[in-house]
Amino acid sequence: MTIKVELQTPILARNEETAEEIRYLCLENNIFLVNIMSSPGAGKTTLLEKALGYLSRELRTAVIEGDIATTRDADRISAQGVEAVQLNTHGACHLDARMVYQALQKLEYSQLDLILIENIGNLVCPAEFNLGEDLRVVLLSTTEGNDKIVKYPVMFRDAHMLVLNKVDLLPYTDFSKEEMEQDLAGLNPRMEIFYVSARLEQGVKEWADRLIELVKQSLKEHGMLGTS
Amino acid sequence: MHEMGLMASMVELLSESARHNQIEKINRVKLVVGKMSMALPDALQLAFDVYKADDLFRSDAVLEIEERETRGKCRSCGRCFPVLDNVLFVCPDCRGLDVEVISGRELYIDHYEGEDGNVDDD
Repeated sequence: MTIKVELQTPILARNEETAEEIRYLCLENNIFLVNIMSSPGAGKTTLLEKALGYLSRELRTAVIEGDIATTRDADRISAQGVEAVQLNTHGACHLDARMVYQALQKLEYSQLDLILIENIGNLVCPAEFNLGEDLRVVLLSTTEGNDKIVKYPVMFRDAHMLVLNKVDLLPYTDFSKEEMEQDLAGLNPRMEIFYVSARLEQGVKEWADRLIELVKQSLKEHGMLGTS
Repeated sequence: MHEMGLMASMVELLSESARHNQIEKINRVKLVVGKMSMALPDALQLAFDVYKADDLFRSDAVLEIEERETRGKCRSCGRCFPVLDNVLFVCPDCRGLDVEVISGRELYIDHYEGEDGNVDDD
């Protein structure tokens, strides 16, 4: 006998459930969770290396490093004196909530204020996976070209913050800040934009200061949770 | 790019539901996929062909995909409109930028059909 079942269930239903668990865990422990995404080579790890000094002075900070393979990035973060957990996805093009949940178990999270997740270098897939984060940051570098924004609209529509990296190379590229700002006005008018050169440490402190401000705001709002 | 993974999640959900409903073989699945979701129908079909070998499916099982256009609703004037290339979230009437996505993000199993072990009476 043929049976029809009206399932009406999102394919990523499990991921959403785990993301909710992460959100609750972070809320309970007063942790601010940041998901940092970009294409490969945009400078996520370098930005973190330079920003961690400012961040860890004010906040107890740790990093979850997503990579397809190797522990190189986690080693670079650990060299800054910040706890880092390496996640290897063994080929998968994004981090999902389950991986992040497992990584959280390896951290002394009750002792942390801020956890930065460095997602896999990819502008497509990570946009689809909710990790239970408080803030989504997308990093773009001038050498990639400003057309990436309209080519990967979901990523740039959903992010709260854009960090444009490698601004020191602007004179050598065709990157147009005007076009970028125009495109973002239609796609994501609330996006906060930061202009940095992670390598030269320009603008990094401003970005770190804004993060610190957001974490403190959030702590103030949820400060009663998790304490007795 | 991650359609194989999505298909794995889909098969897991179907497998649980089929067990629950005492369905032995699935012969038809309908997905709804929005244009803003990062899943490509062709790649989903390809991934389904791989997973079709699973015991859960009949060998001639079909995956039907309904695509949904990206549509926005202006929060200022209420106008609903198609969002060009998933990029232009600007109200064509009042030029408002506060736009809610009302369609295009779908990625769900609408329904499926399968056979239970019972033979029809007639």
